Amino acid sequence: MLHRNSDVSRHIPDEELLRSADGELSFQRAGQVEAHLQACWECRARMEKLQSTIADFVRDHHADFDEQIPPGAGPGALLRARLAELDSEPPMVWWKRAFQLRLHFPRFAIVCLLIAMAVGLLLLRYDLRNLSFGSVDPAAAPNRNLTPGATRQVTVTEVCSVPQEEVVGNVSISLRQKVLQEYGIGNARPEDYEIDYLIAPRLGGVEDIRNLWPEPYRTRMWNAHIKDALEERLHEMVCSGQLDLPTAQHEIASDWIAAYKKYFHTNKPLPLSS
Amino acid sequence: MGLNMPPSSYEDASLAAPSAVRSKTKSSRIEDEVMELFDEFRNPLMRYSLSMGLTLHDAEEVIQEVFMALFRHLQLDRSRKNLRGWLFRVTHNLALKLRFANQISFQRTAGDASLAEKHADPAPGPEEQISAAQRSDRLQAVVRALPESDQRCLRLRAEGLRYREIAQVLGMSLGAVSVSLTRSLARLARADGR
Repeated sequence: MLHRNSDVSRHIPDEELLRSADGELSFQRAGQVEAHLQACWECRARMEKLQSTIADFVRDHHADFDEQIPPGAGPGALLRARLAELDSEPPMVWWKRAFQLRLHFPRFAIVCLLIAMAVGLLLLRYDLRNLSFGSVDPAAAPNRNLTPGATRQVTVTEVCSVPQEEVVGNVSISLRQKVLQEYGIGNARPEDYEIDYLIAPRLGGVEDIRNLWPEPYRTRMWNAHIKDALEERLHEMVCSGQLDLPTAQHEIASDWIAAYKKYFHTNKPLPLSS
Repeated sequence: MGLNMPPSSYEDASLAAPSAVRSKTKSSRIEDEVMELFDEFRNPLMRYSLSMGLTLHDAEEVIQEVFMALFRHLQLDRSRKNLRGWLFRVTHNLALKLRFANQISFQRTAGDASLAEKHADPAPGPEEQISAAQRSDRLQAVVRALPESDQRCLRLRAEGLRYREIAQVLGMSLGAVSVSLTRSLARLARADGR
């Protein structure tokens, strides 16, 4: 057992032994502790026990988790794709530049206030309903915390060679119920919601609660048919080499409506016949 | 992807086409730097995220977010001082945020802790042979019974962070880190019959 109380005046307290082992003592105190350890068998034995406990803990800490962690190649490739995507976005530093232009804070605040007032006046002047074409029904997008998306290990060749009908199965009733419960609508009627894949199976998505969400049929504008069109577009782009698969998966999982706008170059859904 | 140019051609190019090439090359360098750090710290950060109770999928996602944040951080020329501490701090914060969002409760009652410790400290007789697996189970039970802040101190120290870095990640004082580690190791040693 590690040393605790009685002869603290003569021996090194546990905390100091640990800090000494961890190199966290001052230079002077470290020297004193070192000298004491050379002279005192008891403290040296305690130090060895301490080191042994640390070694056991570190071994267990690694054993606990290392087996669970998959190889880093896949996540590394995904990260590189995401970084490339980030890099292509314009940096959001306009406010910083404003300060660099010596626009002092009070003046900057006044400019912001004036802009806010101008926008407010514009909104008052125009009927808000006229501006609603780009708005999104919150129910059209899944909750990212509940449905971040999940994929299987799949190559582009596999994705492009297997027909859609072979990779899509019916979501089981129990899984469907779990998804509805997760979204707090466990008592929903079957005809009100479709359990939809966030990342479509044809893009490597799997039947997993993290990849399924209840999409209401009542959503009029950004509905499942529009999402199907996006999936088709992304699938075509992946298979023709215009887009890599991790990027397609990431974009549809992050914000499928934004992805639709990006790849169809429009702010509102195109007619389905086109 | 950014350009991969050797330093000499970077200098030449920056003279010829200042802003565009320079910024592209800078992004490329940062991207490579981030990927190197990813290779070095992914596993330690994954272990730490998993130890905070995240699922494997959530932990992977948190680590992706962390390195994307690092990319932005470096792009904006923010401090490069102690990037290891920065990585663990951001991982800690994002993991907590995600855990909160998922409404996962890791609160343990004092009763649970005492039960675990009771289980963990059976005081084996001198003749009793204890297998390595049993010892490991016992240590794990004691670790799980520690207060969360003590567990985090231990895990971060096991990943090589210094006391000052641990204090910054967890928002506690240096003294509190030292006391926490000492207390936890004493418990572990006690459970192991040391």
